[in-house]
Amino acid sequence: MSNNNDKPLLRVQGLKKYFPVGGGFLRQARSFIHAVDDLEFDIPMGGSLGLVGESGCGKTTTGKLLVRLHEPTDGQIFIQNEQGELEDIAHRKGESMKTFRRRVQMIFQDPYESLNPRRTIYDTVAEPLVVQGIGTIVEREERVAALLERVGLTPATSFMFRFPHELSGGQRQRVAIARALIIDPVFIAADEPTSMLDVSIRTGVMNLMMELAGEMGVSYLYITHDLAVARYMCERIAVMYLGKMVERASTEELLANPLHPYTRALISAVPVPDPRISRQAIDIKGGVSAPIDPPPICRFFARCPLGDDFCENNPHPPMEDKGGGHYVACYKV
Amino acid sequence: MAEATPILSVQDLVMHYTTRKGDVSAVDGVSFDLENGKSLGLVGESGCGKTSIAFSLMKLLPDNAKIKGGSIYVGGTDILQLSHDELLKFRWQRIAMVFQAAMNALNPVYTVGDQIIEALDLHWGDLSREQSRERIGQLFEMVGLDPKLMDRYPHEFSGGMRQRAVIAMALSCNPDIIIADEPTTALDVIVQDRILRELKKIQEKLGMSMIYISHDIAVIAEVSDRIGVMYAGRMAELADGVDIFEHPLHPYTYALMRAFPSIKGEKHELVTLPGEPPDLLFPPPGCRFHPRCPRATDVCKQEQPPFADNGRGHFVACWHPMEANHE
Amino acid sequence: MNMTVQTSSVDTAPPLWQMRLKLALKNFKSGWAIFKENPIGIIGLVLIVFFALLAALHPILMATAWEPAVYDPITGYDFEILIHPSPPTWIPQPDNPMWEFSFRHVLGTDPLGRDVLSQLMFSTRSEFLLGVGAALVTVLIATTIGAVAAYYGGLVDMIFMRIADVVYMLPFIALLIVLSSLFDFELIHLALVYGVLAGFGGTTIVIKSQALTIKVKAYIEAARIAGGNDLHIIFTHLVPNLLPLSFLYMMFTVTGAIFSEAVLSFFGLLDIRMSWGLMIQTAQAAGYLLNSWKYWYLMFPSGVAITLLCAAFYLVGRALDEVVNPRLRKR
Ligand SMILES: Nc1ncnc2c1ncn2[C@@H]1O[C@H](COP(=O)(O)OP(=O)(O)OP(=O)(O)O)[C@@H](O)[C@H]1O
Ligand SMILES: Nc1ncnc2c1ncn2[C@@H]1O[C@H](COP(=O)(O)OP(=O)(O)OP(=O)(O)O)[C@@H](O)[C@H]1O
Ligand code: SF4
Ligand SMILES: [Mg+2]
Ligand SMILES: [Mg+2]
Repeated sequence: MSNNNDKPLLRVQGLKKYFPVGGGFLRQARSFIHAVDDLEFDIPMGGSLGLVGESGCGKTTTGKLLVRLHEPTDGQIFIQNEQGELEDIAHRKGESMKTFRRRVQMIFQDPYESLNPRRTIYDTVAEPLVVQGIGTIVEREERVAALLERVGLTPATSFMFRFPHELSGGQRQRVAIARALIIDPVFIAADEPTSMLDVSIRTGVMNLMMELAGEMGVSYLYITHDLAVARYMCERIAVMYLGKMVERASTEELLANPLHPYTRALISAVPVPDPRISRQAIDIKGGVSAPIDPPPICRFFARCPLGDDFCENNPHPPMEDKGGGHYVACYKV
Repeated sequence: MAEATPILSVQDLVMHYTTRKGDVSAVDGVSFDLENGKSLGLVGESGCGKTSIAFSLMKLLPDNAKIKGGSIYVGGTDILQLSHDELLKFRWQRIAMVFQAAMNALNPVYTVGDQIIEALDLHWGDLSREQSRERIGQLFEMVGLDPKLMDRYPHEFSGGMRQRAVIAMALSCNPDIIIADEPTTALDVIVQDRILRELKKIQEKLGMSMIYISHDIAVIAEVSDRIGVMYAGRMAELADGVDIFEHPLHPYTYALMRAFPSIKGEKHELVTLPGEPPDLLFPPPGCRFHPRCPRATDVCKQEQPPFADNGRGHFVACWHPMEANHE
Repeated sequence: MNMTVQTSSVDTAPPLWQMRLKLALKNFKSGWAIFKENPIGIIGLVLIVFFALLAALHPILMATAWEPAVYDPITGYDFEILIHPSPPTWIPQPDNPMWEFSFRHVLGTDPLGRDVLSQLMFSTRSEFLLGVGAALVTVLIATTIGAVAAYYGGLVDMIFMRIADVVYMLPFIALLIVLSSLFDFELIHLALVYGVLAGFGGTTIVIKSQALTIKVKAYIEAARIAGGNDLHIIFTHLVPNLLPLSFLYMMFTVTGAIFSEAVLSFFGLLDIRMSWGLMIQTAQAAGYLLNSWKYWYLMFPSGVAITLLCAAFYLVGRALDEVVNPRLRKR
């Protein structure tokens, strides 16, 4: 791995993804969902970033862009290659895409849909090795067995040839983690990997992910709608609202000192698992919709308690550093 | 605790589902009381029998479910003894339910208002259309929806609005008790927060009693006066909200609370329980928690611990409860 | 975390193929457990086995009990009976002084003096070959095209689906009649044509819609992230998940193929020497169907056989449906 620690592992610039609405074959779409609009962030080597926000704000789309399941509408995604240089993979195709595929992986939300029901656990975990042509059959088997044991599926031999339906949700998610780690990636996008698991199982999977990422030096983007989970999983947190990033800071800073009015409302609404702590909810009006052809002003304006004429007549505010790497996109803070 | 007769009293409820593989012991000897005007939160992991309890209380059971024992007293009548006709009257007027994932259950081809009118007609019979619409207007306002929206179709509603409409429907017959099964699970936090606050407000205003069901201990902590922690078809612990957080007695409750991350307070280590909840087709003997319990001994493996009051209405089913340092 | 990292015990594990075999067996068993609870499926299966036995028995009988000169399904002739067609020999014939009780012709003889039972049994094999052959072609086409169209979408999908729509709307039998009058139609051709038509039409549409639901599953995306190319994804992820449904439609294709053979033969449009449809056609051509009550043995055996075998595959299909689609299970 590279020793180039001053460079970020991953750098995103002006990342955009617009989905056409209502168009069809041979028919131009007239509107676009601005699912991800002009994102900018870095993830350092071995670091972790939490991406939080409400349903439909573009978290999954961002994750899929980073692993290139989607091709960006615009913008750059730089990732360090084996030589430690930043390479733009935003529009990469073909063979060079395949080598990139060894460096990034993804873990999905639904453990019941992310494993092929007709393939054994071994088939699933070994798949990246097989399609990349890494190792002999014996070597693959050994590697898979060792990793299965590492993710807590012991003894590996009793799990390797089971089918997904014979596993519980937590075990499946461990399999998904093993599949993501089998080719030693440098970056993993984890899309709500624990949101469908029960509490008593969830912590095990969360701890495992953190341990393994630390051990193997993997950086990750942790997508979640749950701020409390992000607090435990990530060094830094970024908050998204309707395709835009509105605030980004180190985890404790963001939770203790949220600046953006949306982040404040979001944090104030999180229920606290302790009846002795009372919280004061900050109310914001309205609800989220889809960002279909949004006006060029601040995305949050319609619901913002601070918004005024200036916000209404200026473009979406840029992300600004308010000190110590605490970035906010708001004219009023 | 006040010595008033509870509005709802459940004793030793046992409920099974028959399946091709055998009987699923979904509710096994659950007892609890609900006092008039208070709220009870049932919390537990997926499949521990929360919805099954709710269905039993409503006596709205799927075909393969059977109540094997126990009693459910609502204001003094054992509803398990009621005839079919008596039940029809009793249901919705005394006890109503907001179903899990109910917001997906609205019929897409009727307006939301019409669907509530249908529910009203069923129970009030001879309301004129104007009267019905007026009533729905009131209900809509109560749950924070614009009455003008009653002529819209469900697909025009957002998730949060649909959930409100479903709550309005449950309120339509002025029930004494409302059971809300995961009322906010599919919703975003901001919407969830708003709906929970509205539910609390309505409850206070109408003096209703509530049963909240959720897997989210934080939601339950916020809205419930009393909290019941369920595990594998049984009630592990039942106590006043603050009590259960200050002095959890059951090892499962203790672990559950330390497994739950919070954005407030110290960032403590999240504990992990080994293993997984049992398959209720083959529940373990003795205490159902024993295979995962750090305090388990031989007696736990063989005998079911009694669900006993440890003082101050703090019930727990455990042979080796955590130290209670009640002053 | 209570996790112990042991060294893997792979070396002591049984070889891969053994594990896979065991799994396949286990899957089969659990499927069978569901299948056998459904009387419909069992009836179908018993019927299919019965017909298979009939087919298998024919060459044996020909080699042993049945004298070829008399019993050959195509060239045989029984000189000992004066009037053909002759009803089953075990039924008393009051107006025939020559009659004596025997099992010489259990189902009687046809207008050309051939043994009906022998014809029936002889044809069974080709009916099976026809049905299964057509079904294989269907499944091959429908699964591949369904998977490819769903996976690529866009133009590829549009072209295939328009073709499928057209084929779906074609009047099948009428088309087969036209084709068979233009070309020499043997059984194998019929199997092919029918298979292609059935495959391209309704079956493809059904399988494609299933493929669309599979295509959006996260494991497909995981495979792409792993670096898998289109071929890999189509053939290791899409197709295997379509096969149960394909297999189901195979059963329905068998039914259709056998039925259309009967129709074509009845119109004398097939270039084959013996089949169930042809048996009826022979009787019809000789004018015996006008008095069908008297000559029931010319039409009934093959008619019943066609109905039963078609029904058998259909019933098995229905029961398999329950195995394949858990939603349909009663509990
Ligand atoms: N393939 C697609 N085609 C069209 N629109 C899409 C597509 N994927 C996502 N969108 C739209 O883009 C927006 C962002 O979706 P995305 O799935 O990224 O949100 P999310 O933050 O992950 O939400 P959730 O918390 O519900 O998972 C939504 O409005 C969604 O409807
Ligand atoms: N109709 C049914 N037939 C058979 N078993 C059932 C049926 N409904 C529920 N079960 C089983 O009964 C047990 C309790 O289910 P229940 O729905 O009450 O759990 P729950 O606590 O509400 O879970 P969740 O949080 O997932 O809603 C589970 O093990 C479940 O699999
Ligand atoms: S009874 Fe025993 S096994 Fe059950 S919770 Fe108490 S200590 Fe643990
Ligand atoms: Mg998402
Ligand atoms: Mg439930």
